[in-house]
Amino acid sequence: MSAEFIVKSPITTNHSNAFRFILSHIARHPVAAVLLVIGAFSNAFLAGVVPQLIGDAFDAMVNMNEETLGIVFNIILAIIASQALRSVLQFMRNFSAQLFAERFERDIRDELYSSLLGKSMSYHDMQPVGEIMARVTNDVREMNYMMNPGFNLVIGSGMFLIMPALFAPTIHPQLIIVPLLFIVSHLCVQVYFILRLHPIAQDVRASFGHMNARLAESLDGLQVVKGAAQEDGEIHLFNGLADRVRDKFIEQGEFEARYLSTLLFGLTFVGALFHSTTMYLSGQLIEGDVIAYLGLITLFQFPVFISLFSSSRIASGYASADRILEVINAETDLDQNTAGHTGEIQGGIEFDHVNFNYGTGDDVLTDISFKVEPGQTVAIVGQTGSGKSTLTKLINRIYDTTGGTVKIDGVNVSDWNLQSLRSQISIIEQDIFLFSRTVAENIAFGMEEIDMKSITAAAKAAQAHDFIMTFPDGYETVIGQRGMTLSGGQRQRLALARAFETNPPILILDDSTSAIDSATEDKIQRAIWSAAEGRTTILITHRLSQIRWADHIVVLRRGKVVAQGTHEELLESSKSYRRIFAQYEEPVSDESESSEPTQTVAGD
Amino acid sequence: MAAIFGGLQADSYDRQYSDGYLFKRIGDYLKEHRLQVGLGIIGFIIVGIVTSARPVIISTAIDVMVDNSDFLSFLFVVLAIVAITEYIANYMRRRFTVSVIGNIVARMRKDAFSAAIDRDLAFYDTHKTGKIVSRITSDTQEFGDVMLLGSDVISQFLSVIILIFVLLSYSIPLTVVLILTMPLVVAAALFFRYLARIVTRQGSRAMAVVNDNIQESVTGISVAKNFRQEEMIYTEFSEVNKQSYEINLRKGLVIALVFPTLNILSSIAVSVIVWVGANSVFAGIISAGTWYLFIQGVDRFWFPFMNLSSFWSQFQQGLSAAERIFALIDAENNVNQVDDKKVIQLSGHIEFQDVDFAYVADQPILDNFSLDIKPGESVAFVGHTGAGKSTIAKLITRFYEFQDGTILIDGDDIRSFDIQSYRSRLGIVPQQPFLFSGTVLDNIRYGRPEATEDEIMEISMSIGDGEWLESLPEGLQTDVGERGARLSMGQRQLVSLLRVLVQKPSIFILDEATASIDPFTETQIQEAIDLILSRSTSILIAHRLSTVRSADRIIVLSNGAIIEEGSHEALMETNGHYAELYNTYFRHQSLSYVENAKEMFSQAGD
Repeated sequence: MSAEFIVKSPITTNHSNAFRFILSHIARHPVAAVLLVIGAFSNAFLAGVVPQLIGDAFDAMVNMNEETLGIVFNIILAIIASQALRSVLQFMRNFSAQLFAERFERDIRDELYSSLLGKSMSYHDMQPVGEIMARVTNDVREMNYMMNPGFNLVIGSGMFLIMPALFAPTIHPQLIIVPLLFIVSHLCVQVYFILRLHPIAQDVRASFGHMNARLAESLDGLQVVKGAAQEDGEIHLFNGLADRVRDKFIEQGEFEARYLSTLLFGLTFVGALFHSTTMYLSGQLIEGDVIAYLGLITLFQFPVFISLFSSSRIASGYASADRILEVINAETDLDQNTAGHTGEIQGGIEFDHVNFNYGTGDDVLTDISFKVEPGQTVAIVGQTGSGKSTLTKLINRIYDTTGGTVKIDGVNVSDWNLQSLRSQISIIEQDIFLFSRTVAENIAFGMEEIDMKSITAAAKAAQAHDFIMTFPDGYETVIGQRGMTLSGGQRQRLALARAFETNPPILILDDSTSAIDSATEDKIQRAIWSAAEGRTTILITHRLSQIRWADHIVVLRRGKVVAQGTHEELLESSKSYRRIFAQYEEPVSDESESSEPTQTVAGD
Repeated sequence: MAAIFGGLQADSYDRQYSDGYLFKRIGDYLKEHRLQVGLGIIGFIIVGIVTSARPVIISTAIDVMVDNSDFLSFLFVVLAIVAITEYIANYMRRRFTVSVIGNIVARMRKDAFSAAIDRDLAFYDTHKTGKIVSRITSDTQEFGDVMLLGSDVISQFLSVIILIFVLLSYSIPLTVVLILTMPLVVAAALFFRYLARIVTRQGSRAMAVVNDNIQESVTGISVAKNFRQEEMIYTEFSEVNKQSYEINLRKGLVIALVFPTLNILSSIAVSVIVWVGANSVFAGIISAGTWYLFIQGVDRFWFPFMNLSSFWSQFQQGLSAAERIFALIDAENNVNQVDDKKVIQLSGHIEFQDVDFAYVADQPILDNFSLDIKPGESVAFVGHTGAGKSTIAKLITRFYEFQDGTILIDGDDIRSFDIQSYRSRLGIVPQQPFLFSGTVLDNIRYGRPEATEDEIMEISMSIGDGEWLESLPEGLQTDVGERGARLSMGQRQLVSLLRVLVQKPSIFILDEATASIDPFTETQIQEAIDLILSRSTSILIAHRLSTVRSADRIIVLSNGAIIEEGSHEALMETNGHYAELYNTYFRHQSLSYVENAKEMFSQAGD
């Protein structure tokens, strides 16, 4: 499979469906699997020994003589010894299951994580982080639980189900009848209940989720609720959701209460007592046999008690495996193109009749054409949702066009070596992400070495040095720790410092910060202006001063270029562009002294 | 301390209720479902009786089968009846328990929610909504779970008590021996609970580290990709993943030990009973059947004791969950009305007369504050942070209680209104415009749900020729997502303003957002604001130069007092506080700034 990143020694498992996926993971740990099964079998086997021993003791008691107590004492020793051995084996079973479960979790998480790293940004942009996190945390956890307690108990209790059918015939062949009848009917009941219970349980979860989401929203927006005097409406809505949760909860409880295997077990006991006493009366069994046999039937209690729980674990694990595979198997269309064109980028960019859609629905961008000379600054403007960010993502192949070509220095971007292309283009996104590392490491992110001198210079150029120095540990301050938070403007300037440090020939800046005060605005402006100097810069910006002075302005509307040119040209040609500046026509008299460039020294 | 104990520390409205009071209050909830509770209890008792009947019947059968009497066939019938009765009684027990618990939990949630929605906004300044949400959903859930668990344990104990009486009637000494094995189980269960808690905590911590790591890399994946650092973050992930595996395996070791240990203990207890019982049979004190009855009794005895000792702390938690829910329900409000005059229409005349206000006693925000806003007037408040701009809005909206003085609306005391009908005459746009999940349409008509779609469409098209609607994939039917997350800040602001336009309030209160908005949307926002200003008395907490300029009167606040007022031009002329504020906050929004930018920054850039 092509991917943007491939782990060196990957875990290879079968991804064709959930069943094979789980199986191939199990096959990776054959020793643990064998130990689990052996442990489970011998555990149940030794549990089955106890009723036999008690039967023997009973026989001894019925035919009482001097040796009886001695025999009973030996039997007691046998019980303790067998149970001690059983405990060891049970521990082996439990621990193998746990080992299995943890390895499962570790491996699947690793597999999922590396597959996520390999996916293109077009995949990641379409997936909310919360959605992915749910896969990597909850679903992977479910896989763990599927092994233990899920499989562990299914196998463990399954052996308890088999044991009476194995032991009973050793007392008398006919005695196999009742256990067999029970096993068959229990398994039928089991399948029926699991199939029915799964959707109910999902309904319960979903209804709870809805209630929770709306509740959080109502309280977060309480000011709006109160302001619009909609308290009664909200209460009515919430009560409806709470009632739905209740109804689903009761539905599940009611269904579980009907669990038929408990009745089957009760009736099996009647059958067993009837069968064994009848055989006793006809002389085919002795007292101890009846006791041993009834003791064996009691072993069924464990599977009856635990089955619903353990099999629903497996059902939800299976569903999780499906969801995990969905992520792993999601197609990712970009590859590294290691054989592609490499070279130093001069900075010429050309969009030639470019179309783009996300693979579903209408085009997000339609017939985009424009040209940028090396070193120019281009402003892309338009309403939210007009396709500005998407357009810039075609430049470094975060997305691939679905029609037309994007060329850099005359070479189609898809012919570039991905590494060479991306390493020469810096993108500063709207939501600036900083890693939980030191400020210095964030600025030098992606560099082989950390050179404090150049980092400081970059921070100064980005107007970030002053505020960095106000942090407790300056450049060594770890971002996000001890409640240290940064404003949007500060994050942006750190990202700009990163760009100064890497000095790329092309800079793409998706700027959505706003300064509350003019002094801060001065700094941000200064940083952006100097970042744009000497390189090709694509700006998505709301700042009129940036738009006003760009070498070229592209106005987007619903994914189409509706106007392009310089500020003067657009004032002529575009109505909506003119409207923006029209707002300001009135206060031209605003040439008060205070609007002179002010030297700002205040730190922020 | 507060930071360290984050979620653990109590909230100021928390109170200590006595256990007796808690039980009484839970009892009040139970009372509403008398019939179901009664039926459930009948189920409990029947289950208790029949489950202890089974071993008795079997051991009797063992005793009588030697005689081959008709009594044996009678026992088969009884055993069959027991099996069926047990199933039905168990169904009853579970069915009614679940229904009672489901209803109580729903009732508590509703009570807690209507209490929460009734609280003053001041309450939410000090208490995070997340924590309140968890009281309403998780705490009630936990309470319900514990009740369910409790009902199971109670049912098991009921069986044990009945069993004890049955066993006592067969052999007192043997029963005593059986009871004496109990401390063994309880001790083992308590020990494992202690161990499990430690290792589970370590395991969860290790898990949290892994999850944080993944969260960070998934969130920052575009940066990692732009810089081609996948290998490095994979290595980091791999390390924490392995570490979590090792720690959780250690947890597994402890957990895997629990049942084997209990099994050994159980076999010892069985052996004791077998031995003591055999001696009794030998001495002719009890029958062989009775002896077998006691052997069957061991497991039944153990189970409830094991459960009780492992779940004890959970019961405690259930009670404190109930306590937290009741505390939320019982919390008190500060804002109280003295009358409930219905408000039909307002002209929008607002008067503050010598108003005193403080969020915290001794730190007055407004002191002897007086102000008169004429009907239809639009007033912009400007000033530094903390000058008292938003306080004025909060008092007019009656979100907060003032301590002294009078606020008159159309000449009536603001405290004399029915609060909901008064607020429905206000149009409020908060600084963080808030949308509810649903369509754009639903959000626009939130304050007036009966407004028709045509009406909304007309209003929507009146702003910027409806250009903003174009950018919404499905127009008015676009789903805005949770909290409006799928819309941009600017779009959310527009929707909030349209909401006010639909509502046609007498008084408009705008706390302007500071977020950056694309110039196209911004022009349309300005249009919407201008339209509202022309229709209502307006209180503007302005952050945009254009908004300030469009107000009839600008009031400059400092430390809760009015220090200047007038129009933009007049105030600029005097070159006082307003001019200073202008230079600090609004200078960069002026056209001259835009026009001079190149000159200022291009060369000035070092």
